Amino acid sequence: MEGGKACAPSGVFAHLEMLEVQSHEAAVKQEEMEQQEEKLARLKATVQELRLRRDELQAKVDLQQKGQLGKEGVMLPPAQPSAQAVLEWKIKSLKAMLRLFYLTGISGKLTKKGVCFCISTAYEGTYLDSYYLDLLTEPEVQIYRHSVPIFIPLEEIAKKYLQTDIRRFLSVLSDHLNAYVQRRYQADQLQKHFSDQIEGKLQRNSLCDLLVFNYNVSRKSKTFLFKVRLLYGDLCCSLPTEAVVSCASDAPASVAEMAAAHSGLFRRVALHKAFRSFGSA
Amino acid sequence: MDNSIFQVYEDEIQSLEEEIELLAEKYEDSQQESTFFSDEEILMSISSYQTEIKGHEFPSNLKAELETLETDLSFLMKFTGIQFTNHSKKTVEKTRNRTVQKHRLSGNCHSLSFQLDFQLLEMQNKENVSVVITDLSIRMESGENSDVSKFVERAEECGNLLTFFRSFSSYAEWYEHRRCTFRHFKGNYILKHDPEAGLCRSCSEVSHPNMRSESGGSKGIMAKYPEIVTLPEGLLGDHIVLRNPNTPGFELMIVWKIHMDEEGVTIPVLDLLTKVPEKGLEQKMATIENAPSHFRSVLLLLGIEAAIDNLIKVVGSEK
Repeated sequence: MEGGKACAPSGVFAHLEMLEVQSHEAAVKQEEMEQQEEKLARLKATVQELRLRRDELQAKVDLQQKGQLGKEGVMLPPAQPSAQAVLEWKIKSLKAMLRLFYLTGISGKLTKKGVCFCISTAYEGTYLDSYYLDLLTEPEVQIYRHSVPIFIPLEEIAKKYLQTDIRRFLSVLSDHLNAYVQRRYQADQLQKHFSDQIEGKLQRNSLCDLLVFNYNVSRKSKTFLFKVRLLYGDLCCSLPTEAVVSCASDAPASVAEMAAAHSGLFRRVALHKAFRSFGSA
Repeated sequence: MDNSIFQVYEDEIQSLEEEIELLAEKYEDSQQESTFFSDEEILMSISSYQTEIKGHEFPSNLKAELETLETDLSFLMKFTGIQFTNHSKKTVEKTRNRTVQKHRLSGNCHSLSFQLDFQLLEMQNKENVSVVITDLSIRMESGENSDVSKFVERAEECGNLLTFFRSFSSYAEWYEHRRCTFRHFKGNYILKHDPEAGLCRSCSEVSHPNMRSESGGSKGIMAKYPEIVTLPEGLLGDHIVLRNPNTPGFELMIVWKIHMDEEGVTIPVLDLLTKVPEKGLEQKMATIENAPSHFRSVLLLLGIEAAIDNLIKVVGSEK
C-alpha cells in the first residue's frame, strides 16, 4: 500500500451506511416532533376558540337572565322576527302543550286511520311506564296494535266498553295499568331499599298481584322473623286485599301480636312505606 | 412528547363542546319561554311564510306541521274535556342529565277550572328519561258544598299530579252529567243518534236547532215538565224540585250531591226529600213515607234519569 490512510473498503461503506441511517432517523424524529408541535398548537388554538365561544354564549345567557329579572312582563325579541321564526315559536309552544297531556294520563295523536292513544302511569310524583294503543275507527273501533302487557285483561275490558264508551274503556284500562305499575313499583322499592330485611327471595308474579316473602324486623336488639303472603284481589287497587303474616310457631304472644299488626299495616299502607315505618318505630 | 398532554387538551375540548351545546339550549329555551306571539301575529306569519317560500323548490312543511299539531291538540282537548287555557314554564336548571322546569298551568276540566303550579324534573338515565313532579300546588273549582280540601292536600303532599287529573276529570264529568240531566228535565229536548247536533256525552242528551218540530209523541209530556220541574238554584245547583200545581204544598225534592273523598274517588249521592202539607194527603202518607227508599231502589235498578223520570210522572199524574 502506498502512503495515505488505508481503511478496509467495507469499513468505510459500513460507516457511511451508519451515518445515513442515523441521519435518516434524525430526520424522521425531527419530522415527528414538528408534527406533534403542530398538533399541539392546533389543539391549543381550538381550545382558545371554544373558550371564546363559550364565554360569548355565557354572556348572552347571563344578559337574558338579567333582562328577565328586571321586568316581570313578557319580553319580545329585539329585532322584527321573521315569519319562519314566529311559526317555529308557535310549533315549539304547541309541542310543549301536547307534552303536558302526557302528565294528565291520557294523551295521543290522530293517525291516518284512527287515533294512537298513550296511557301514562305514575306512582305519586314519579311517572313510570307508558302504554300505547293504536286504534282504528273504521268500520268500527278496533285495536290495531298495542303495548299493553299480556297479563292485563285488555280483551275483556275492550269487549265491555270499546264500542260503546271509548273514554270509559281508556279510563278502566288506565286504572288497571296504573294499579299494576304501582304494585310493581312498591315491590321494586322494597327490594331496592330494604333488601337487608328480606330473607331469601321475594316471590312475585308478573302481574304483581301476589307477593310472598320472609322478612325480619329488629326491635331492641332482638330480631323477629315473619313470613307474609300478600294477595291483591282488586286489580285496580295498589293495596292488598289480603295480608297473611305468620311467625314461628314457638314465638311468644307478643310476636304474634306484631304479626297481626303488620297484617293490618300492609293492607292500609304502601309496602315500602310500611317497611320504612318499621325502621323508625 | 407523550400522549397525556394531548389527552388533557382533548378532554378540555370535549367538555367545552358540551358546555357550548348546553348554553345554546339554555339560550333557546329562555327565548322560547319569554316570547309570546298573539294569534293574529301567527296568522300573519303563516300567510307571509307562504309567500316567502312560493319561489322555492322545497315544500313548506312548517305550515303543515303547525296544522297537524293544532288538530291533535284540539282533538285531545275535546276528547278528554281538559282544556289548557294558559301555560308558562321556566327552565330553572339544565345540565347534561338533568332539567328542572317550573310550570304554571291553568285550564278547565269540562266546566270546572283549575290552576296548577309545579316543578318538573327530567333526568336522563342509561335507558330512558324519568319525570318527577315536586312542589305541587293545586287550586281547583269544586262547586258549592263540596269539601275537596283533604284530597287536594294529599295530592299536593305526594306530588300526585296524575291522580289529580284523573280524579278531577271524573269529578267534572259528574258535574257535567248532573247539569245535563237537570237541563233535560227542565224541558229541553231529547233526540238520540243525530250526528248534526251538539252532544252532552255523559247523558247522550242532544240539543238541536230544529228540535221543537221533531219532538213527535213525547211532545205532550215534554210540555208538562216545565211546570212540574223547578231548579231553585239553577242548572248548577244541587237539587231539583217537583211540584204539581194541582196539589199545592206537596213537593218532592231530589238532592244530588257530588263528593270527592280523600283518595280522589268521586261519589255522587242522591236522595229524595218530601214536603207534605198538613192536611189533604193523609191517605197517601204511607206511599209518601216510602218514597225515599223506593227512589233509591229505582235508582239502583234503572239509573238516575229513569228514577227522576218516574217521580216526575208520579207527581204529574196527581189530580
